[in-house]
Amino acid sequence: MKGIVPLFLGIFGTFAFSWAGLILIPNYQIGHLDPQMDEDGNDPYPAPKSGMVDRGRRIYAANGCVYCHSQQVRADYAASDIDRKWGERRSAPRDYLFERPVVLGKMRLGPDLSNIGKRAPVEDEQAPTAASPTPAGPTTPQASPATNPALGASPSTPPALSPSTAVAAASPAISPAKVAAVTSPVPAPNAATTAGTTVTANGAPPPYSAAWHHRHLYSPRSLVLDSNMPAYHFLYDKRRISGERATDALKLGEGDAVPEGWEVVPTYDAKCLVAYLMSLDQSHALKEVKATGAPPASAPSPAASSASPAPAPTKGPK
Amino acid sequence: MNPADVPLRPPTTSESDVTIRDVEQVERALIDASTRLPVLFFYGSAIVWLLLGTLLAGFTSFKLHAPDLLANVSFLTWGRVRPAHMNVMVYGWASMAGIGTAIWLMARLCRTTLQHPLLLIGGAAFWNLGVLLGVSGILAGDSTGYEWLEFPPYAAILLFVAYSLVVSWAMLMFRFRRGDHIYITQWYLLGAFLWFPWVYGATQIMLFVVPLQGVMQEAVTWWFANNLLFLWFGAIGLGTAYYMIPKVIGRPVYSYHLAAIGFWTYALFASWTGMQRLVDGPFPAWMITASIAATILTIIPVATVGLNHHMTMRGYFGLLRYSPTLRFTVFGAISYTVFSLVGVLISLRSVARYVQFTQASIAYSHLGLYAFFTMVMFGSMYYIVPRLVGREWRYASLIKLHFWSSTYGVGLMVLMLLTAGVAQGGALDNPALSFTETSEYVPMYLRGRSVSGLLLMVAHFVFAFHFGLMLFGLGRTASVPTFLNPQEEEALEARL
Repeated sequence: MKGIVPLFLGIFGTFAFSWAGLILIPNYQIGHLDPQMDEDGNDPYPAPKSGMVDRGRRIYAANGCVYCHSQQVRADYAASDIDRKWGERRSAPRDYLFERPVVLGKMRLGPDLSNIGKRAPVEDEQAPTAASPTPAGPTTPQASPATNPALGASPSTPPALSPSTAVAAASPAISPAKVAAVTSPVPAPNAATTAGTTVTANGAPPPYSAAWHHRHLYSPRSLVLDSNMPAYHFLYDKRRISGERATDALKLGEGDAVPEGWEVVPTYDAKCLVAYLMSLDQSHALKEVKATGAPPASAPSPAASSASPAPAPTKGPK
Repeated sequence: MNPADVPLRPPTTSESDVTIRDVEQVERALIDASTRLPVLFFYGSAIVWLLLGTLLAGFTSFKLHAPDLLANVSFLTWGRVRPAHMNVMVYGWASMAGIGTAIWLMARLCRTTLQHPLLLIGGAAFWNLGVLLGVSGILAGDSTGYEWLEFPPYAAILLFVAYSLVVSWAMLMFRFRRGDHIYITQWYLLGAFLWFPWVYGATQIMLFVVPLQGVMQEAVTWWFANNLLFLWFGAIGLGTAYYMIPKVIGRPVYSYHLAAIGFWTYALFASWTGMQRLVDGPFPAWMITASIAATILTIIPVATVGLNHHMTMRGYFGLLRYSPTLRFTVFGAISYTVFSLVGVLISLRSVARYVQFTQASIAYSHLGLYAFFTMVMFGSMYYIVPRLVGREWRYASLIKLHFWSSTYGVGLMVLMLLTAGVAQGGALDNPALSFTETSEYVPMYLRGRSVSGLLLMVAHFVFAFHFGLMLFGLGRTASVPTFLNPQEEEALEARL
């Protein structure tokens, strides 16, 4: 080949062509979206996340969670993600409007997390009144829009909500607790020895609650026997109890029980990470996406959410 | 085939011919001497990064089946060691080895000596510093979270400065080249040298300076990753193969026209790939389909390049028995075909449905970065290093050990990961199986992968030791290169 000019132009041209085609035009198409509102201009979705959640996302990215967990639900015709109850509809560009970095993920060594926050049990903000177990589950009048799982771990709420833990575990209607009982290697009687204000049937918090996430991060195999998720001890402080036991101290199973007089508390980073996980929720209906899962993903009414407090899978973590 | 049957170049008898060849010999020696320090510095650094990356890889692989190991140590958590391994390999090993080879090839093909080589050493030092800072940043918890781009921006800036030095020197050599013929290798190298800063710079700007909204960041990441794989590593690797194969067997490339078709279709189609990795994600379907189509069309350049190499090699395959360079390079060239065909296969929607979120994509990257690129780089190092240090490789047995452990290592790894991907992907598609049941298929293959990692570790430490011997002047003083099988050395001596 002779002539440097055609060579140079060709090299530049192929670069510019692919950049224009794969970046510039798609960016024109989906790079300037606005949150969706209803007719009255209310109920914006997605809403910007709190500072704690944003920090949690950075911790999620920096510690490489994205190398095992995806955050995208594929359409029902393309995959079985929706059958797997990972979401009620496929993910759309608008779901990720405020995410930076966006962590869609390329690998599923662990389950998809797009709706992990949505799958948390509905927590009772006014927990103390519900401390006595109600057999019918948390069908308490306090179940209001404020119990939206996205807000479940807002800074005002201590991650380890022991009373609600008791509620959920005592309720026979909530099967995830039973799942935990099956998969947990901790024999039930030992849970009683765990120092704690409330003790569930086997010491395991209901799946995908903030307390569950903390224990899962600290000691994954105490909750999911076959998990190969790394344990994140470095996100937790193991310290001597000074005076009262901290309210957010982890209730651990027998395998990782700490010596008498010691406790394990989450660091601020761990709280942010869990707040982020609890905020992951793509259940809000989007105009551009056809909902395929049941129940229809219209904006969940308070009544609906209190009637089925735990839309989490019934066959265990899928 | 008996190497004695290999047709020899007609002996040069006329006096003028002899003089020209003598002049060329001296000229080559001068060019090699001018590139000695920077190229050896790039190679040496690359090999140090290779060893570090191998250790990190072993650690990553091992932690997957020992997840509670060192849970207290934040900077050794799996999610930080894995990107550290990947970035050390991509920017530390592969890029530095690639730049070293590219500089040497550029000087040889432009028939110019390298002026002011010390400035290039500065470039290499900056590059090392950038990789070091970046990897420390990742381990300290500063990773950006974008795959292949985990280096924090402060490290990326250093890499960019270092790269500007390197690319200016390459361009200067090209500007002052002698002779107006531009060889195929030079097209690829020129392309690589120009594509890399454009793609890297554009990506950094779109992610960190004026960040794009939402999912477009992911699109940019995959656009970058695939362009890096094809237009940077792929271009250097193919360019090197186009030089080494004809050079070692002493025969011109079969067809220039095929090479030109191969180059331009490669540039056009390979640059449009990337989005197939996002299949059925939250993106407009057309951009994914466009990338799938482009991936399928890369069959054209792959076929032309493969055909060209094959026709060049025809009748000379017997030489694979003797020349280490040829053996590594041909293995790499064949892997390139396999890599591309696997890429086409896993990009098809019907296949991606199963393998998209599984280990298969890791198998694919290792096919490209290791079985193809790294093997071609090893081959070029076996050719270039003796010409820089004036010694021949000391032990043929070590080269053979290196080749076979690399070959079996990467073969086993790809086999394990592909099988794991298909097995897990099939299970994932069946919603009746719970997630924990689907991932039960994976650990045994991951153990197999750890074994392959041990083989690669042997290969790399053997190679590093051998390279160290060369560096400290402990190679053989001989006028013939080191052959893998010395029996018929004399027969070859006449030719090579």
